This record gives sequence, C-alpha cells and structure tokens, in this order.
Amino acid sequence: MWKNYFKISFRNLQKRKLYTAINLLGLVIALVSFLAIALYIYHEWSYDRMYTDHSRIYRFNQEFKFGGEAQLASMTPSSLIPTILDEIPEAETGTLVFDLSIFSSVLVDLGQGSQEEKKFAFVDERFLEVFDFQVLAGQKERMFSEPNLIVLTESTANRLFGSPQNAEGKSLKVDGKDYLVSGVIVDFPSNSHLDFDFLASFKTHRHGKEPAWSPSNYYSYVKLREGADPGALEAKLDQLVLKYLGAEFQENGFSFSFFLLPVTKIHLGDQSLSSIKPGTNIKYLYIFGLVAILLLAIGIINYVNLATAESTERNKEVGLRKSLGAGRAQLFGQFISESLLLTISAALLSLLVLGLLFPELNKLIGVPLPLDLVFTPVGIVLLLGLVLGVGVLAGFYPAVVLSGMEPIQALANQIKVGGGAWLRKTLVVFQFFVSMGLLIATLVVNQQLQYMQQVNLGYEKDRVIALNYHYSMRNSIETLKQEFSRSGAAQSSGIASSLPIHIKAGYSIFPGGDAQKEFAITGYAVDQDALPTLGINLISGKGFVETDYSRGKAFQDSVEMPILLNESALKELAWTPEEAIGRKINFAGSPSVIQGIVSNFYFNSLHHEVGPLAIFLEQDEANTILVKLSEGDLNPLLASMEASWKKVYPDRPFAFQFVDQAYQQLYQSEQNVGLVFGIFSSISVLVALMGLLGLVSYVALRRTREIGIRKVLGATEANVFWVLAKDFLKLLGLSAVLAIVFGIWFSKAWLESFANQASVGWSPYILSVAIVLVLAAVTIGYRGWKVYRLKPSQTLKTE
Amino acid sequence: MIELKNIDKFIESRFQRIFILKGINLQIQEGEFLTLMGPSGAGKSTLLNILGLLDEDYAGDYVFGTQNIRQMKEKDRSNLHKSEFGYIFQAYHLIDELTVYENIETPLLYRKVSSAERKSIIADLMDRFNMVAKKDLFPAQLSGGQQQLVGIARAIAGRPRVLLADEPTGNLHSAQAKEIMEIFQELHREGTTIIQATHARENADYGTRLINLVDGRIETDEKI
Repeated sequence: MWKNYFKISFRNLQKRKLYTAINLLGLVIALVSFLAIALYIYHEWSYDRMYTDHSRIYRFNQEFKFGGEAQLASMTPSSLIPTILDEIPEAETGTLVFDLSIFSSVLVDLGQGSQEEKKFAFVDERFLEVFDFQVLAGQKERMFSEPNLIVLTESTANRLFGSPQNAEGKSLKVDGKDYLVSGVIVDFPSNSHLDFDFLASFKTHRHGKEPAWSPSNYYSYVKLREGADPGALEAKLDQLVLKYLGAEFQENGFSFSFFLLPVTKIHLGDQSLSSIKPGTNIKYLYIFGLVAILLLAIGIINYVNLATAESTERNKEVGLRKSLGAGRAQLFGQFISESLLLTISAALLSLLVLGLLFPELNKLIGVPLPLDLVFTPVGIVLLLGLVLGVGVLAGFYPAVVLSGMEPIQALANQIKVGGGAWLRKTLVVFQFFVSMGLLIATLVVNQQLQYMQQVNLGYEKDRVIALNYHYSMRNSIETLKQEFSRSGAAQSSGIASSLPIHIKAGYSIFPGGDAQKEFAITGYAVDQDALPTLGINLISGKGFVETDYSRGKAFQDSVEMPILLNESALKELAWTPEEAIGRKINFAGSPSVIQGIVSNFYFNSLHHEVGPLAIFLEQDEANTILVKLSEGDLNPLLASMEASWKKVYPDRPFAFQFVDQAYQQLYQSEQNVGLVFGIFSSISVLVALMGLLGLVSYVALRRTREIGIRKVLGATEANVFWVLAKDFLKLLGLSAVLAIVFGIWFSKAWLESFANQASVGWSPYILSVAIVLVLAAVTIGYRGWKVYRLKPSQTLKTE
Repeated sequence: MIELKNIDKFIESRFQRIFILKGINLQIQEGEFLTLMGPSGAGKSTLLNILGLLDEDYAGDYVFGTQNIRQMKEKDRSNLHKSEFGYIFQAYHLIDELTVYENIETPLLYRKVSSAERKSIIADLMDRFNMVAKKDLFPAQLSGGQQQLVGIARAIAGRPRVLLADEPTGNLHSAQAKEIMEIFQELHREGTTIIQATHARENADYGTRLINLVDGRIETDEKI
C-alpha cells in the first residue's frame, strides 16, 4: 500500500513542477539553515563537556568587597588551590592556570631566531588530573613536576619540531629562559575554553614556588569528590579565608570570598568576567535558535499553504478515489506520503548542500561545525525525527482537508477554496511578519554597528598602529621612537599600558580632605608622547613633559606624582577644571597632583558610558607602542619601520596591529549577530516570497477565467494586478503592522545594552516594509502579467 | 464601418498549416444585425474574436471606420476595444464573486465613468430587464436565462456601437432564447450593430444578414 502511495506521490510531484520546486527549495533552504544553526548551538553548548568528570569540575570566581562596593573577577590568588587541597576534603584535586597573554606575549627561540607566541600558559602539576587531555608523548605524571619544563600541543610540536615524538626531550628558550620539552598533548578542541599552544610548569614561576594570597592573576579549578556538595566547599572555604586573611581584611577595610562556577558554564556564562577565550552570550544562542525555528516554520507554512490552495485542483481526484471505495484513512495516507516524500528529498538535498557549503560556513561562523554528528546514530535518529516531524506537520492539515471532502461535491468540483482560507491567511501574515521583523532587526543591528564605526571616540584610531612593548625594551625605546620620526614613517609615537580602545586597569582615588569618599577609577599608564600620538584633547592645565615625575620615580623620591583626569572623573569629584588643577589627591595609594584635564574618550566598549579615568606617567607598566603613521602608502612606511625596529631590537620580532581593526574586533560578537540576522532575514524573505509566488499562481490559475472576462470588459494590466494583489497586500499590511510593533520592541531591547545608542528613527521600519512590499508586488505582478497576457479567446473557451 | 480584407488564421502544425479562416473578405455597415452560422469548427468564434479585437494573431487587414487596426498603437486599440464593443458569451461569463449590480458595473469602472453616472446607467438597465429585485444576488443564485440577461446588460452598459454575441442562447431553453433574441432585435432597432454566431437557424431570422461559414470560408452571404 505505502509503495503505491509513494509511487503515486512521486508522479503527482513530478507533474506539478512549480509547486514541487517551490516546496522543495523552501524546505531545503529552511532545513539547511536549521541544521547549520542547530550544529552551531550544539557546538557552543558542548563546551567543556569532553573532560571525563566535567560535571565535578569547577572554576573559582572571586568577589572583592571594599567600601560597600563589590566586584566579581574570574582570577584568583596562587595560594587558593594548595590551601584547598590541604584543608578541604571535598576537593579531589585542583589545578591552576596562568594565562600569560593577559600581560604579554612571549618570544620562543629554537636557536634560529625568535618568534612571537601568544598562547602561552603556566599550569601546575595537577593540570592533567583535572583536564584529562590525551598525552601523545612524554610521561603524564612528570610533565609539570619540575621547574623549566614545557609541554606542547600536537600542532605546535609539528610546527616547531616536525612531530610529537621528535619534540620530546628537546629544549627551547622562552624569553631567554631555557625549557625542556617534557611532553606533547593533543590540541585543545575548539569547544574547550582552554586554548594554548604552550604549557609551562608553574614551578618555574615565582608564585609556583611560593604561593601567595596576592596578586590574583590565576585561574583556579577544582575537581570535587563524587557526591561532594559544592555549597559545602564554599562554606568551608569562607572559614579558611577568614582564618588566613581575617586580620588583613580588618586592617585594610576590604575582603574577598570565592564562588564555584561549573566548568561547563564558563563559555556561556557572565561575559563581563575575563576568560582565556571570548565566550558567547547565551542570549544570542536563544536568538539564533528562535531564528532557526522560525525559518523552519516558514518552510512548513509554504507547504501547508500551497497544498491547501492546491486542493481545488485535486477535488476530482479525491472524489473519484472516494467513489472507487477509498476510505478517509487511505486518502490521508496518500497525502501524508506526498509530504513525507517531499520532506525526505528535501532532507537529503539539504545534507548535500550543507556538505558543499561546509567550508564556507565554518569560515563565516568562525567555529568548526560538528557536521559529522549528523551521521552518528543519535544524529540520524534526530534527523529522521525532524524529517518525520516536518513531513507530518506540513502534510497533516492538507491531508485532513483533502481527505474530508464529500465525494459528490468533490466530483462536481463544487467545493470552494474558502475552506482553510483563514488558516492560509493567518499563515501568510505570520510568514511575512517574521521576514519583515527579521529585516527590521537586521537594519537596527547594523545601524548601531555603523554608528559605532563612525562615532567620534575622542581619540585618533585611523592610521595608528600598535607594536608590542616589553619592559626589557625600555633602555632603547627613545632611540626607536626617534628612529621612527627620523625616517619619516611616523608623525609621532608613544608607549602606553594598552590600546586606547580597551583600558582595564582598575585603581581607586581618594580626594582627601573632608567630605568625599573614595571611588574606583581606571588608570592609563603612558609616556609623554602617547597622548599627542592619539590626538587626545587636553581641555585645561598642562600635558606631560619629559621632566615630569613618573609614578615609580615619584614614589622613590617621595614627591607628588602628576596625573591627568578626564571629564567624567571631574564630574565624579564635582569640581570645575579651575578648582581641580593643582589639587592634591591620593591616587592608587600615592599622593598625586592634578596637572590637567582631558576630554572624555571611549576607553571601553560602547556598551558602557565613559567612566572616570586617570592618566599617569609610567614606562614600566607599558605593553604597547602606539605610532601615528605619516601620510602616504602603508607598505613602504611599514617596511621602513621594520627596518628601524631591526636596527634597535634585532632579537625581537616586529609585530603590529592597526588600532581601528582592533577596535572593530571589540564588536565581533555584535557583528556576528548582524551577519546572522542579515543572512537569515534575506533567506526568510526569499522563502516567504517563493511561497507567495506559489499562492499567487494558484489564485491566478483559479481566476484565469475571471481575469479573461475582466480583460474583455476593458481591464488594463493595472486593474488585473489589483484584482490579484488586493487581498495579499491587505495581509502584508497586517504583517507590516505586527513587524513594526515587534521591531520597536526589539530595537529598544537591543539598544538597551549600549550606553551609546544610534538614533534609529523610522528608516529601518519604512525600508524593511517597503522592500518586502515591493518584492511581493513584483512577485504578484509577474504572475499577474503572465495571466494578463493570456488571450481571452482562449481562457473563455466554452467547453 | 467594419472591413475585413483577406483574413487568414491558421495554426502551424508539424507538417502543414491548418487554416481556421481562409481568405475572409467582409464588409459590415453600421446598424446591421448579422448572423454567422455554420457547423462546429467552421471558424465562427474565431471570426467573432478577430472582429472583437480579442485575437490579433492573424494575417490580412482589419479596418474599423477609417483606422487600420494593425497600424494602431496598443493603447488606442485598447481604448477602441473598450469604447466600441460589447461582448456576450454562451457561458455568460459573469464574475462569480460579484453581485448582479457589481457585474454590470465592472465595464463602467474600467471606462472611468463617474459614480453618479454609473448608478443611473445601471438603474436604467435593471429597470429595462426587470432585474431590480435581483441586484444583490450572485450569479449562482440566478437561472441561465437571467444570467444571460445580466450578461447582456453588462455588455451594453458602456453603450458600445458593436455588440458581439457568441452562441448567446446556446445554454438556454427555447422560451428563454426567444426572450434574448427579442432584446437583440430591440437593440438593433435602436441602432446598435449586432454580430452573432449561432447554430440555430431560427435566431438568424431576427437579423438582417446571414453568413454561412464552412471550413473557414464564407460560403453564402445573403440579406434577410
């Protein structure tokens, strides 16, 4: 019986090519999008689930409390893990990871010149007990047991030594220090929050030998015993911290405590905490998931709409089959098998398309999609479930309508298409609501992104490059800067603690005197040339000159250190510039004097308002050399700079980044959202239009005779178009209203997370609605024109 | 008023041309009531379609008044078609979704007749055909004869000079057919040029001229 069903279904689909093509294409597009998004979501969800005991592994977060303010951080002191392992029985084991890249990159030297490496970490000897990565060479127990041992990942070993086996036992220099390669482990998988090329033994590090409760620069992980309660560990830890540090807390008026975060929640957790690898905002995963489901719904709706609209065509077939004795169940089977056949074909096709698009998709999304998951037993079962679900969902309603027709009426072709019209209308409204809504969302997102590119940041980011600075370079840095200017490559250059796009270092400031209390302030360490290089505007007082005291020197000589404040800091202090200049205050524990005021500039992402900022002189805290390039072609300028660099620092690699590019990377995740919206909103518009084309085609077919009559009565193209378009445009109008309501809500919700918002205005709404309406009108017009061209002498032939 | 010169209409088949009309020369004066007769497939409908500007795919010349149809611009042809011709069909071809009133109104809408004028024209026609009570009914609620009356009312609403009728009584029984033909006679008396195609010899008696078509040629052409 089913064989017969499928055979007949196949013929039916073959016969109605436009109908089949629209349905198939719509379903393929929807399924490809759905699968791609589902795999992406799976990849993000699967983070850190590959360790054997991942459910028992936690990372510590630390909460600082001072002066009534609390701050959460993901980095902890080096004493934490040793103390816990000694004194808390719930902990089975634990490890510490020191991601060196938060401070600087390293220079790795195999004897043939050094190269810069960024993914370098120190880990303690229990690292592999917690994260059981596969060992390819070396002895697991001894990999980190001594100082100056280093473990490479597989691809690093291949890159440097040709093979893992070859790497073991070799030595290499890191920042001039000798290390012995004690082993090789597999590469960190793309869905691990750990991402390093080099792991050195923490015993090499000062705090590896003597753990301390300060500074808090280290990620700490603990693996609990089976059945242990993380709450109990936290409680015991609070007691321990009090035991060791209670006196110090009392004395200094601050305190801190620790919390456990499951390792599987690091990637999708709090994005404000620093992490080894940028995490993903779980909000975006929900949005993407919703988009995937909506796209699938649009594909299914196309099928339901076309199949019910088409039911008039099939009245006769149904009537005939019924008069030949077909039961309702059999007819139902017939129609369901048609939709199943279509969905199965679509699923196979979409796997093919997904396979072909795979490399492009990976590039686009930036993570390797686990496509092979589809072909595991679970994947196949899920896919089959999806296919059956879609097939039945799409086929159910049309099958009910078609199989429920009365035979006599069906034969006489007297059934009006009116049945199910309300459903079809609702579905059309929904489809276009979704596509217009997504389009509006796309435009709003992109408007904000564009705004962020164009907004005046308060400093110069075009044609400014940043070079790596290491404190060991301090003796010759002035020579390098002069060399840059002398060669004409740079207009000016200066060194600073970080790029201006993201200044993180937190300090506190205490105005002294009577009323005002201490508040938190961001600090920016520079030399005297950095601010002019960045074009940061001094609005009052004096900038830095070479003879001004640096922080270190001021401390040494016990004099006040000169600082500059920004407008926000001034506002916080409630002083006018005149009142502020020359005032003595306490900054970062040192007596300081306010020497000048600079305009506010955005030293953090635009998600935040410009906070208070203090700028001070200190070369030893610098990490970057900022260079404002001269006019002219980039390549010769860069080549000349490299030559100067090699002259001054022959041993250090010349590596640079453009500040404007670094700025853009700050908004990578927002740009991804913009891109995803862009792609999927276009897809949804396309699929909805295909459905519309199909529907209009059926309406046109049904009304061919009527249009013929109207033409005989003198109707023009425009009249005919209106006859066909009127009903659809009404529905689309309703969709537009709903989409605008959604859009207003969305833009409010999306822009809320930015302290600096683009003014969106009405253009995204008008543009989106206009685009969809015009495309819909073109679709209808195209079909209408085809009907209009038919000769009435043919369409009105009497049978 | 109408002159056809050497009209050919054919279908290209694989090996030969199949002629539907061949060498038709015909002059029709204003005010004539002309009947086209002939067996099925003789080309009556085709000739009617060509006359009514519904079919432009033929060889030969068609002169309406002083204008050669072939040399007219699309727009002028469409205007001529709108203003000068009314059509009546065997299957009535009313629009199912529109009421009697709206069906009659449609051609007036396309002629951009003002609302007040439309109302008065339609009121007159309803009155004339005794359909006032039926104005809000849909075609499916009417008998065949009544539907054809609506068809005629619609065809003459725009006051065309030429009325084309293809088997106007083909779907009707004889009493209804008689009623329709009497209306035609009356319209003829008022000066409308009528061209009808029919199978029924008795219908021809209402007219002034009878043309017999056989295999796409004019076989006889006589005054009645």
